[in-house]
Amino acid sequence: MKKKIGANIYLIAVFIILYAPIFYLMIYSFNSGGAMHDFKGFTLEWYKEVFHDTRLIVIVLNTLVIALLSSAIATIFGVLGALAIANARSRRTKNMLLTLNNVLIVSPDVIIGASFLILYTLIGIKLGFTSVLISHIAFSIPIVVLMVLPKLQEMSPTLIDAARDLGATRRDVLTRVVLPFISPGILAGFFMALTYSLDDFAVTFFVTGNGFSTLSVEIYSRARQGISLSINALSTLIFLFTIILVIGYYFINRKSVRPNGVGMRQ
Amino acid sequence: MLAEQAIIRFENVTKQYDEDPPVLDDVSFEIERGKFYTLLGPSGCGKTTILRLIAGLTEPTKGNIYFNGKLVNHVPANERQVNTVFQDYALFPHLDVYENVAFGLRVKKMKKADIDAKVKEALRFVNLEGYESRKIQEMSGGQKQRVAIARAIVNEPEVLLLDEPLSALDLKLRTEMQYELRELQRRLGITFIFVTHDQEEALAMSDEIFVLNKGKIQQRGTPTDIYDEPINRFVADFIGESNIIPGKMIKDFLVEFNGKVFECVDQGFHPNEPVEIVIRPEDLEITEPDKGKLRVRVDSQLFRGVHYEICCYDEDGNEWLVHSTKKAAVGEEIGLHFDPEAIHVMRLGETEEEFDKRLESYREVSHAK
Ligand SMILES: Nc1ncnc2c1ncn2[C@@H]1O[C@H](COP(=O)(O)OP(=O)(O)OP(=O)(O)O)[C@@H](O)[C@H]1O
Ligand SMILES: [Mg+2]
Repeated sequence: MKKKIGANIYLIAVFIILYAPIFYLMIYSFNSGGAMHDFKGFTLEWYKEVFHDTRLIVIVLNTLVIALLSSAIATIFGVLGALAIANARSRRTKNMLLTLNNVLIVSPDVIIGASFLILYTLIGIKLGFTSVLISHIAFSIPIVVLMVLPKLQEMSPTLIDAARDLGATRRDVLTRVVLPFISPGILAGFFMALTYSLDDFAVTFFVTGNGFSTLSVEIYSRARQGISLSINALSTLIFLFTIILVIGYYFINRKSVRPNGVGMRQ
Repeated sequence: MLAEQAIIRFENVTKQYDEDPPVLDDVSFEIERGKFYTLLGPSGCGKTTILRLIAGLTEPTKGNIYFNGKLVNHVPANERQVNTVFQDYALFPHLDVYENVAFGLRVKKMKKADIDAKVKEALRFVNLEGYESRKIQEMSGGQKQRVAIARAIVNEPEVLLLDEPLSALDLKLRTEMQYELRELQRRLGITFIFVTHDQEEALAMSDEIFVLNKGKIQQRGTPTDIYDEPINRFVADFIGESNIIPGKMIKDFLVEFNGKVFECVDQGFHPNEPVEIVIRPEDLEITEPDKGKLRVRVDSQLFRGVHYEICCYDEDGNEWLVHSTKKAAVGEEIGLHFDPEAIHVMRLGETEEEFDKRLESYREVSHAK
């Protein structure tokens, strides 16, 4: 019993330390004092400023478009890649492909960003929306592969035999058995890709240009110019959005664990 | 005419993976319509491989497979009139019971109303009415197995393949399901090919048994044929308990073993041919030491419920297994009596065809008499 209380206290302390900076930032987004110290009074001034900042709103939209597009496209490629790896004939090819995939995940963003920059300048792609989109798709694919692959490996090969035995064509097998079976993995991969894209700073910082910017890059450059509490307000909004995403993900995930048609027929 | 034709025919089928020794070695057989067949053999002997070849989930390395007289070597699984109940059931975990059973009909693009009627009927057949919206994970082992059977029979296959469907069940449920399966086969009137490595199950359920070992069919026949007249040591040993002793066939109807000559009912051997003798433990009767045909000493005994399993040794050190409802005393000397019919003589290294021919020839002789 005592041990449990100790563990709980420890856990709470860890969470306080982790979340304290965020809450500190959030509280001062309501400070009428205009600085990160001396809480003078409550105001929504900074939020107003955020919503009146058209440039900022365009950037938010850019970020969302990039995130949704890149994660959707990356999900398609990632699922295909995972299928290819899972169906690889020889063990060696399988391991090689998997290693290549994992190297992309663990290699530092800075290196990925820099190499993309070099690539784009070499082949002459203009820095901006396209370059950012391509980079985000590229670094998201390995994440999707990593989320989908375990689901594919979990699937017993006799399920495919059973489907074939029941008259399913190869296409039926894919759409009626394999994809539904791995759908939790696909969904998880999509959301992972989405969050990675939303909060990516390093890669985007390298490959963006021509006035195109995403939120993380914009916040960085504004924070460097000097402190404005509108950044706090913006960060608070992003944080809330993330929380909503996480909760949404949790619910979708819970639903997908329960197969369809519960209680539909009697 | 069609009813006479074999529904499945294997012609010298060999299956080999890479450079390994063949999993199936030059196997030929015919399966007739409407019968209950059992493939029986130890683990790894190629039972599942035969089913996969019939289902079209794998192709033979050599030889031909015919279905209703048509060559089907390269016909894919989804185009064959065969359905399988898999060893691990292979039910779709993302679908409920209803959708699992409906799967085969859905991929055939059948009308919704027809699907509904057929699925309900199939579930009624396997006593699973009311379970339509259950998740697979919420079903017990026996129920899962019945879902797997319903999913297969709803497609009205001409042949149903069952790969050790009862191996995961406990003894009671298993016996129950044995009756149910046999009953189901009679009601449907289609061919069942049932795989098991349990000889009692095979003897209880089948019209016809194929005993397999190391990728070859050792013997085929009705349960009584195989039990009473095993072709070789492997079959005698695998099907039921047996006493197998080396001996010598003096001439027709006379065999020598344990240094004595006994009357028997076997014939068609060369004079003084070395043979192996099989006597089933339940055919041995315990008597007074000097009244029996053999004299043995009781070494140990086990109570098996219906009978005692008594292990004895004769003077030459041969082991004799006796099944008796009467208890024996360990260490005691007893006599063993048996009838001439209880002796079954096996020719060493005889193939199935030779065995059948020999049996045939002396059946004719005894008819002529
Ligand atoms: N895909 C494969 N590649 C290589 N060898 C295989 C393959 N499938 C089966 N085998 C081999 O073929 C042999 C026969 O396998 P099979 O599954 O037919 O045995 P079984 O009689 O069904 O055994 P069990 O009673 O254990 O299910 C085994 O030795 C197995 O290792
Ligand atoms: Mg098997």
